[in-house]
Amino acid sequence: MKAEQQIPRNALVWIIITQFSLVALHIQRVPIWVLAVYVFAAMWRIQVYAGRWSFPGRLVKIVLILIAFAGIYFSYGSVIGLEPTVALLLAAFALKLIELATRKDGYVLLFLAYFVCVTEFLFTQDLLIVLYSIFNVVLITTALIALHQPGQDRFNFRTIRLALVMLAQSIPLMLVLFFLFPRIGPLWTVPIKSHTAKTGMSDFLRPGDISNLSQSAEVAFRAKFTGPIPDKTDLYWRGLVMSRLQDGAWSSLQYYDVPVEHRRPIVPQLGGEPILYSVIMEPTQQNWLYGLRHATSDEPKVMNTSDYRIFSPVVLEDEYHYTVQSWPDTILEPELSNWRRQTELVLPQGSNPRTQEFARTLRLSSASNRDFVDAVLQKFNSEPYVYTLQPPLLGEHAMDEFLFQTRRGFCEHYAYAFAVMMRAAGIPARIVAGYQGGEINPVNSTVIVHQFDAHAWAEIWLEGEGWVRVDPTAAVSPDRIEWGLEQAMAQEGSFLSSSPLSPLRYRSVVWLNTLRLRYDALTWRWQSWIVGYDSERQYEFLEELLGEFDARKFAAILLGTGALILVPVGFSLMGKRKIRHQNPEDKYYLTFCARLAKQGVPRDVGEPPGAFAVRAKNLLPADALEINEITNLYTDLAYAGKYLGDERRSTLLRDLDSAVRNFRVTISSA
Amino acid sequence: MSQTDKNHISSGQIRQHLQARFRKWINRRIPPSRSITLDQRRIFIFPSRVGLFFGLSLLVMLITGINYENNMTYALTFLLATLFVVGVLHTYANLSGLTIHAVRAQSAFPGQQSEFEVVIEKGRRRPYVALRAAWPEGSERVINLIDQDSVRVRLHKAVGGRGWYSPGRLLLESTYPLGLLRCWTWLDLDLHALVYPSPVVSEALSGLATDQPDGASQPIDGNDDFSGFRNYRRGDSLKQVHWKGLAKGQNLQSKQYTAYADRSVWLDWDMFPGLGIEQRLSHLCYWAMEFESRGDEYGLRLPGLQIEPQVGEKHRDTVLKELALYGVSERHL
Repeated sequence: MKAEQQIPRNALVWIIITQFSLVALHIQRVPIWVLAVYVFAAMWRIQVYAGRWSFPGRLVKIVLILIAFAGIYFSYGSVIGLEPTVALLLAAFALKLIELATRKDGYVLLFLAYFVCVTEFLFTQDLLIVLYSIFNVVLITTALIALHQPGQDRFNFRTIRLALVMLAQSIPLMLVLFFLFPRIGPLWTVPIKSHTAKTGMSDFLRPGDISNLSQSAEVAFRAKFTGPIPDKTDLYWRGLVMSRLQDGAWSSLQYYDVPVEHRRPIVPQLGGEPILYSVIMEPTQQNWLYGLRHATSDEPKVMNTSDYRIFSPVVLEDEYHYTVQSWPDTILEPELSNWRRQTELVLPQGSNPRTQEFARTLRLSSASNRDFVDAVLQKFNSEPYVYTLQPPLLGEHAMDEFLFQTRRGFCEHYAYAFAVMMRAAGIPARIVAGYQGGEINPVNSTVIVHQFDAHAWAEIWLEGEGWVRVDPTAAVSPDRIEWGLEQAMAQEGSFLSSSPLSPLRYRSVVWLNTLRLRYDALTWRWQSWIVGYDSERQYEFLEELLGEFDARKFAAILLGTGALILVPVGFSLMGKRKIRHQNPEDKYYLTFCARLAKQGVPRDVGEPPGAFAVRAKNLLPADALEINEITNLYTDLAYAGKYLGDERRSTLLRDLDSAVRNFRVTISSA
Repeated sequence: MSQTDKNHISSGQIRQHLQARFRKWINRRIPPSRSITLDQRRIFIFPSRVGLFFGLSLLVMLITGINYENNMTYALTFLLATLFVVGVLHTYANLSGLTIHAVRAQSAFPGQQSEFEVVIEKGRRRPYVALRAAWPEGSERVINLIDQDSVRVRLHKAVGGRGWYSPGRLLLESTYPLGLLRCWTWLDLDLHALVYPSPVVSEALSGLATDQPDGASQPIDGNDDFSGFRNYRRGDSLKQVHWKGLAKGQNLQSKQYTAYADRSVWLDWDMFPGLGIEQRLSHLCYWAMEFESRGDEYGLRLPGLQIEPQVGEKHRDTVLKELALYGVSERHL
């Protein structure tokens, strides 16, 4: 192997650091044994470096690869799909280290490393993750540079400086390309995330589900209103409309559950002033979206269903940015079809008999449906019902148990009981699951909706009013609606009790809270402008910035920025900064040589002064004395200068200087 | 002549023609010089094979970005693409400003490796890293110029036939810092090695022309008288060294003999009648070396040239140089 092709020790250390730094981001996503492969590979390679072990043979390599495949198969049940592919890539990335022998292997490994960076982005483009990934790119680039520094047998931290400089010089042009490069849709379908857990609200609501979700301080979505933010008590973010009650759980009607003639959403008469806002949802791996009632959108990626919710045609694998208009005064479904009425009234046979009986009795004693609703809410309000995050488990006739025995429940218990009572009394009713309220960020006036804002309420259909929202929780705990969960649970102390480190628990620490809100505002900007920069935004942005846009402007901007960056860089690298730190005696002697060269006696490269003097004297016998003197002075200074005293040295230098000065005079007069 | 033959010949001719054109072009662009400073006229730069592989990787990343509509993947792809562009400057700068001086070339016999020495000097304070210097089909060296300002590089290459041997253009290249681009130059440093004739053993010389000093015509074998010691000088034959004295811890001394006739011989062009020029030179070369190693004085007579008998390294070099350059038009290069 040529010396040039070897991996310098410095590069090896950087490569190992890079590998661990890269896999650190994937820790939560890959099976634990993949991490073990990294430790194993690093140990093996270090042993090879120390000369104790050798590189693996072909058979060993094949066995290792097969083991990796088998491991992925056993961990994921398949090797197809994004997650198994990424895990396999990570395992291969680790194993490549063991056979890292030549520079060529180094290239393969480091280009793979850049790609590992990309795989991280496929899962999250969170600002902090991206910042950490930039650090990783610096590491990879450093390792790539270290690969070309032969003879670095010691770990050298300075290598990182050049990497930083080069990447910094690359950023301006990168930004131009980023904003100008046309965003075209996918060229072909790609493997999707099949193993990532679904998050947020699920389409299957049992008592206790939302109180579980409310333990989480994760952000569900952020919304920014064009006008003023509506009152917090009006922020009912509808997500799922659950019309079907089966086996003690509510769920929404699937597309094929709805008869063909009822599948198309009935476009209601839009009424009142619309509220305009845009929403960025965190990935959920589900496809429903959230909006205030009644939400419509011009965007093709926001669709309506017949029960007036919005959904996305694709599963939300990444942050999802959409813009909606809500018409709060719209009457939803003034006329109810028979099928719809049937569907919204049906109750499982023989379930919760006591509740049903109670509802029918109460309805008979009420003058109207409205009175009946008020009476039910009055019951929740006046009787000792408790709003709690820690509801007791319920048995077969859950609502009978809840209403008449335990009387402790979270929003889904109240909504469930309410809907059952309505249906029992012949009023079409269903449960709506979504979020209520949100935190207003004063920094940029966005509404941050967290998972603990998850909420369930009921919708009933009333003659002439259409679907009307009724939130029984408000009757039990008005604080929840007005102030949010934290206030409602102040006495119980159960708010975020399972996540003691969440910054949301420390909202009373002012500087910490300011920091959190500032970061959240940054996140909004990041998600809407960078992560969410799509063809539409690009069009808007470029139109606003440059007016009519065409290929000529594109080229001009690209070249202009390129020149603006590269020309100064080139100058700083190649400017005329000739080093000049000659000894004075060298300077004088070279002047002397230059004078002789003018007379047609040039000194050859590498010719010793003595030999040159002999040659020069032969050709210019008249100047033999001077040539001798200068040569002697110079050789004394150059070869014995170190051993002369300072005083003697400066005397000799003066002599040499004047001898060289006078030398010209001698020749020209001769 | 068949069609394929015609094609074959013409493609060979085209290649020759192109090579000749390249030589002419590069001779004009980087003319031979004893000392060359690298600037934009002399430096070539092009993506290396690794660079093309890198480009391919970027393409895969770009397609991933497009298919997953993932903006950070776009950003990373563009960052790396720009890094490549910035790399052009950094790679170029790693060669730009260097000055390469020809120092000397060692003389050698045909087929031997000769040592060519050059000095690479940096023109800027910046470090220059991983410069690879090589002669085509010769040895190579990788040089760093980090703290020092210049470095002396000795490269070896097998020389050709008798006369001046030019090692061709020196390749100086570097892929530092990223390995994605290759920056190189071909330098004709006007550096020539003297190649002696290939020594060929011949029968004992028949008509040894001896010198005729002062009437002494005694046979020279075995009649020398020992006359004393003198300090060893370079060039003294090892046979004359007073080894016993050395063993006793004295200085290295040579025994001196007085010969009735000096043991000086003339190596004469005319000693090898009927042989070609190169053969004569080869035999003369062999005998010059032989006498040198015996410590005998020898002179050389070539048509139009005479070197008085002497012995010693310097004398040998003079004799061999004359043999090497016999009939060569350019005596000094």
